[in-house]
Amino acid sequence: MLKAHIIKKRRDFKLDVPLEIEPGSAVGLFGASGVGKSTVLACIAGIEEPDDGFVQLNGLQLFPPPLPLHRRPLGYMTQEPGLFPHLSVSENIHFGISKSLAATTEQQQWIETLRDRLQLAPLWHAPASLISGGQARRVALARMLARKPPLVLLDEPFAGLDRQLVRELIDDLIFWSRQIGFSMIAVDHQAEVLKRLCPQQAIVLEQGRIVQSGTWTELYKSPATPLLGSLLAPL
Amino acid sequence: MIHRRWSARAGAALFALALLYPFTALLARIGSWQWDADVRGPALASVRVSLLLTSIAMLMIVAVGTPVAAYIARCSTRERLWWQAILLVPILLPPLALGILLTLAFGPYGSLGAMLEQLGLHMTNSPAAFILTQVYVGMGYYVLGAVAAFDSVPAILQKQAALLGLPPLQVFLRVTLPLSRLGLAVALSIAWVRAIGEFGAVVVTAYYPSGMPVQLWVNLQSFGLPAVMPLLVVFLAVALPLPWLVHVLAQRKRHA
Repeated sequence: MLKAHIIKKRRDFKLDVPLEIEPGSAVGLFGASGVGKSTVLACIAGIEEPDDGFVQLNGLQLFPPPLPLHRRPLGYMTQEPGLFPHLSVSENIHFGISKSLAATTEQQQWIETLRDRLQLAPLWHAPASLISGGQARRVALARMLARKPPLVLLDEPFAGLDRQLVRELIDDLIFWSRQIGFSMIAVDHQAEVLKRLCPQQAIVLEQGRIVQSGTWTELYKSPATPLLGSLLAPL
Repeated sequence: MIHRRWSARAGAALFALALLYPFTALLARIGSWQWDADVRGPALASVRVSLLLTSIAMLMIVAVGTPVAAYIARCSTRERLWWQAILLVPILLPPLALGILLTLAFGPYGSLGAMLEQLGLHMTNSPAAFILTQVYVGMGYYVLGAVAAFDSVPAILQKQAALLGLPPLQVFLRVTLPLSRLGLAVALSIAWVRAIGEFGAVVVTAYYPSGMPVQLWVNLQSFGLPAVMPLLVVFLAVALPLPWLVHVLAQRKRHA
C-alpha cells in the first residue's frame, strides 16, 4: 500500500497532494498541463525531493529522509524511454536483475514471457540506440517489469505513439498488473488514455491540489470545476 | 550560390594550408640530418624517458582526476565554479613560473621538499620531479575535459539505472563511464599532448632525466638544426597521431 503526502513549493503554487493507493489498484492522475502531476510521481520515485510530507510504500519509508533511488522498490517510466544506448535490447531488459536472480528458471521464463508478449524477439540483440521510438517504449516497459516492482509509476509513457500501439501497451500493462499484482499510478493529460489504463479511480489536480477524486463516470457526470469539464469535453 | 560556396571552400582551404605550412620545415634545406652516436644515444634515451614517465603521469592523472571530475560533475553550479577556477590555475600559469614554483615548493628549499629528501625522494632533476611536473601540467586539462564528458551523459539515464536497483558506484561503472569514455579519451589525449610537449616547466624542475623537448633544446644548442630534425620527427610521431585519431573519432561519433 502506498501512503503519501507530497508538499512542494512550485513557482506559482504550492503542491499539496495526499495519496493512498491500495495494493493492486490503478489510479489515474488527471489534470491540465503544469498542475503538478508529474512532480507528484517524481517525488514518489525520488527523482525530486518534496519540501515536506512523507512517502511510505508497504511500510517502507521512502521520505523523509529520502531513501536512495536504488533501494526504492518501484518502476518509473516516462515518455523518454531512457534506454542505455551502449547496450543491446536484451542487456537493457536484464539491466536491473542480479546475475544470481537472472540464472533462476522462474526469472528466465518471466523474461521470455515479456519478450514474447511485447514482440521483442526480433530486436533482442539489436543495439538500443538503433530501434524506433515505439520499440524503445516496449523495451522500457519490459525493463521496468522485469524486476516485478510492487508499484509502477507512469508519467505519460505513451505520448507521441500511434493509437494502435498505445492500446496494445495499455492492454499489456493491465494484463501484467493482474498477473504480478502491482499498484499503478499513471499521469496523462489525455482522459481517454487514463480511463482505459485506470478505469476504476481517477484523481484530478488543479494548481497543485486535488479538486476531485472518484470513478470516471462520476467525473464525467459532475465535474468539480469548469476547467475539468472542459478537459473532459469532446473536441 | 554555388560560386559563393566554392569561394568559402577555397578560403577555408587556404586557411588549412596556412595552419599546416610549418610542417614544410621538415623539408627545409639545412644540410644532412645528424644522427651519429653523439646525437642518437641521448635522443633515444629522451624518447624512452618521455614515453615512460609521461605514461606514469597519465596513469596518476586518470587515477586521481577521474573521481575528482565525477565529484565536480555532480556539484551545485556555485561549487563547480570554484573547482573550475582552481583547475584553471595550473593551465593559465606561465610554464616557466609553474616550474619555478614546483621547484621551490617540492625541492629541498621547502619544508615538504626537505622531508621528501630525507625519505630519499628527490624532487628536482629526478624521474619523480619529471612525473610531478607533468601531473601538474596535465591535470587541469584532463579534469576539465572529464567533467564535460560526464556532463554529456543524460542525468535521466543515471537516475533510471539507480531506480533499476544499481548503487551509485555501479551506476558510474555501468552507465556513466561507458557513455563518457570517448570524452574521457579526448580529455586524456589533450593532457598527454600538453604533458609530453611541456618544456618551460620541465626544464626547471627536471633538466635530467631529459625528455624529448629538453633534449631537442640541448641538441639545438649543442649541434644546431641538423641534430634536431631526426628527434623532431620522432617527437611529432609520438606526440601527435594518438590524440589526433581520438579527436577525429570523437568528432565522427558526435556527427554520426
